[in-house]
Amino acid sequence: MNVLRAWIEERLGLRAVTLFLEKKEVPRHKHTFLYYTGSSILLFLGIQIVTGVLLAFYYQPTLAGANASVVRIMTEMPLGWLVRSVHSWSSTFMIAIVFVHLLGIAFTKAYRKPREATWVTGMMLLGASLAFGFTGYLLPWDELSLAATKVGTNLPKAIPVIGTWLTQVMRAGEDVTGDTLSRFFIAHVSVLPLAVLAFLGVHLFLVQRHGMSVPHEVERKGVKAPGLPFWPNFAFREAGVWLVLLGLLITVAVVAAPGIGPQADLMAPAPEGIKPEWYFLFMFQMLKLFPARVLGLNGELVAVLIMMAGMAALLLIPFIDNRPAERKGKIITGLAWAGLAYAVGMSIWSLL
Amino acid sequence: MNRRARVVAAVGIFLLGSFVASGILEARVQEAPQTSLKPAAATAPGQETPAAPRPARERMAVYVLLAWVWLSIAVLLWLLRLRVREADRVFRMGLNRAVEKPPKGPGH
Repeated sequence: MNVLRAWIEERLGLRAVTLFLEKKEVPRHKHTFLYYTGSSILLFLGIQIVTGVLLAFYYQPTLAGANASVVRIMTEMPLGWLVRSVHSWSSTFMIAIVFVHLLGIAFTKAYRKPREATWVTGMMLLGASLAFGFTGYLLPWDELSLAATKVGTNLPKAIPVIGTWLTQVMRAGEDVTGDTLSRFFIAHVSVLPLAVLAFLGVHLFLVQRHGMSVPHEVERKGVKAPGLPFWPNFAFREAGVWLVLLGLLITVAVVAAPGIGPQADLMAPAPEGIKPEWYFLFMFQMLKLFPARVLGLNGELVAVLIMMAGMAALLLIPFIDNRPAERKGKIITGLAWAGLAYAVGMSIWSLL
Repeated sequence: MNRRARVVAAVGIFLLGSFVASGILEARVQEAPQTSLKPAAATAPGQETPAAPRPARERMAVYVLLAWVWLSIAVLLWLLRLRVREADRVFRMGLNRAVEKPPKGPGH
């Protein structure tokens, strides 16, 4: 065993990595639990990749084959329904933890100097995660997924100048067709994974480069927060969290496996009660409630512009909130809480 | 055989046993006529396909598997707890730093 270890060490030089992990310290304070969210996202991403590859062995991204191949996976492949369920639920778990991770960073002001680039790459990863959810929703090619994709891809049309072009690029034409399905599939299994790997590499490098952030309130006390060695103390704790999350995921996947509706008919009218995934519900509800005309402008355009302004503000928050301890910082924190309450409220309203 | 080795051996045997038991159950499910794996045949076109297998036997096999998963997780969590306690004790006593910088003896 020692000979093998020496052989590997001589070629890969992994001792440098273990030394780095042994020296790395995780600050201990009342928000330490937030540090577990980053690695939990990686866990679910790994599960998504493994189950996604398994599903891709049998999935056919064609108009005639998409729905039938998903039905085949669910009914004929051994434990195919479970693989699909784990894939679907792990995406939900991942996005939920991405939101917790994001909110934790936002409210502990962990994005401030010198971590602006970490925040920006994190926001890119959030966008990619949502895009994964959006493109994956169409792949079963049932009535609901077709209708939701029609609504979703119609939204950018309201954007001035580039809106119509953007919708055409997303749909691969004027309307949602078999070409859209192929395009969404390629984006889901090829373009987005490559983008995620690139952003994730930069994000993780920056996290290691700057170390783990200490919450603003702890830092203001002027006393260094006590630390815990990453290896093995924190890593073992993290492994425990992973195990519990894995158990929860498998349980939910078994108990509440997602079904699949009848094959989508391009000529059929949209079914009643269409709803997007839970993380798009607040936008969906906002669009539903927005009046047709606002100050003489198209209501949909105003709603889309408000949403885009919100996203831009979120992306640029480290540059806007550059003095978190002062009045400006407190106002921004208040606005962030209000935004969160609004999103949660609208999502609940949409479900009622 | 020290206590640690005994614990590791016991857990290993338990996990191996659980995998074998789950495997037997799974194999029995797969040996069953394939028609039971095809609820789609009972579904009329245009209707929603059921999400999970309907036959009671398959459902039971899945729930037994789930129980084994949780049991394995509980054992692994218990083992991790022991390791965390040990690592924390080593850290509190400062022994992790002692490993990094071995004390120089009188001959050095």
